[in-house]
Amino acid sequence: MSHPYQAIGWNRQKRFYDLTIIAGVFIYVGLFVGLSAFFFPYATAETMIIRAAGSAAFLLLHVVLCIGPLCRLDSRFLPLLYNRRHLGVLTFLLGAFHGVFGIIQFHSLGDKDPLVSLLTANENFRSLPDFPFQQLGFLALLILFLMAATSHDFWLRNLTPPIWKSLHMLVYVAYALLIGHVTLGVLQSETSPVLVIATGLGLATVLGLHLAASREERRVDATKLKAVPEGFVDACDVRRIPEKCAAVCSVNGERVAIFKYDGKISAISNVCRHQNGPLGEGKIIDGCVTCPWHGYQYLPDTGASPPPFTEKVSTFQTKIVNGRVWINPTPYPPGTRIEPSQILGSEAQV
Amino acid sequence: MIQPLRKTHRAIFFFLAVSLPFLFLSGIAFRHSWPGIKPNQVPSARSRR
Repeated sequence: MSHPYQAIGWNRQKRFYDLTIIAGVFIYVGLFVGLSAFFFPYATAETMIIRAAGSAAFLLLHVVLCIGPLCRLDSRFLPLLYNRRHLGVLTFLLGAFHGVFGIIQFHSLGDKDPLVSLLTANENFRSLPDFPFQQLGFLALLILFLMAATSHDFWLRNLTPPIWKSLHMLVYVAYALLIGHVTLGVLQSETSPVLVIATGLGLATVLGLHLAASREERRVDATKLKAVPEGFVDACDVRRIPEKCAAVCSVNGERVAIFKYDGKISAISNVCRHQNGPLGEGKIIDGCVTCPWHGYQYLPDTGASPPPFTEKVSTFQTKIVNGRVWINPTPYPPGTRIEPSQILGSEAQV
Repeated sequence: MIQPLRKTHRAIFFFLAVSLPFLFLSGIAFRHSWPGIKPNQVPSARSRR
């Protein structure tokens, strides 16, 4: 991208998103501390604050991990995806608050360096109930720090997308470490079934949604499109595509997004050049296909970003026959203009 | 997501779907049985004075 550097490209939607999540966190922490003070009057204020921040971070991480599969299963969740990076950074900040406050509270009053104390105070690696759960949390926090620190296009460009993506896939390692941190930590000392059930439900939700979404992805990948004359394949019904949105199909193992807009149909690669986001899950905004992940835009007929941007994706030739969209599976070079197919009145009727 | 990434993602979640419930249930099953704290056993601020 050739536009001047900006730390965050603020807009109204991002501000609303951030204000909502910050208000949500304040309400959660307030409720947590208030209810804890009522039900556990013997707990110290420090313990309540440490637990409030830690549980808020854990809860937010569940939300972050659920957004992706939810969007794949139901497009109504797409607005949540738009600013997910900020949700991730807030998760790290809350986790860091929990970790730093915990280290000060439990490891800074001895004669050892607090970090050395954290890493060596408990070495019962062979005992499940006495396992050093704090080390697990510390490792997870390091991963979340790396992710939060590189949650910017500057790092995406400098690390290159494959390395950046691999780094950010470490979130699943962090989640596994945090499940261990919670199960072998607070759930060992607090015997309330509410905490066990809540943690179990959170785990089941994250795993269930991801498995359901990957089953759906596999179904799309496995769907064989019917070959039709002139080297085209029959992709979908025109009426199935909502206005200014897309239907996604798999052609030769890769995804193609077929957009319907202003009485026309155009098909482009489903893979955003920015971060491999699913363009077909985005919408047409101001005449451009807009990636649901970070708002990168492409013209639907050329697959090229509007000037001054230079990103380009492949385009595909389409044809509408008896209300069905046909696609030529051979992609055109990125940025090649393909005349959109016109939808006739009778073909657009439900 | 591009197809290789989808496959990696799927493999990671199949692994997590097996290992995390196992870790969670083992952690709960083998935890210590702590003596319960009854509210009247908790020293109140007044009794400590």
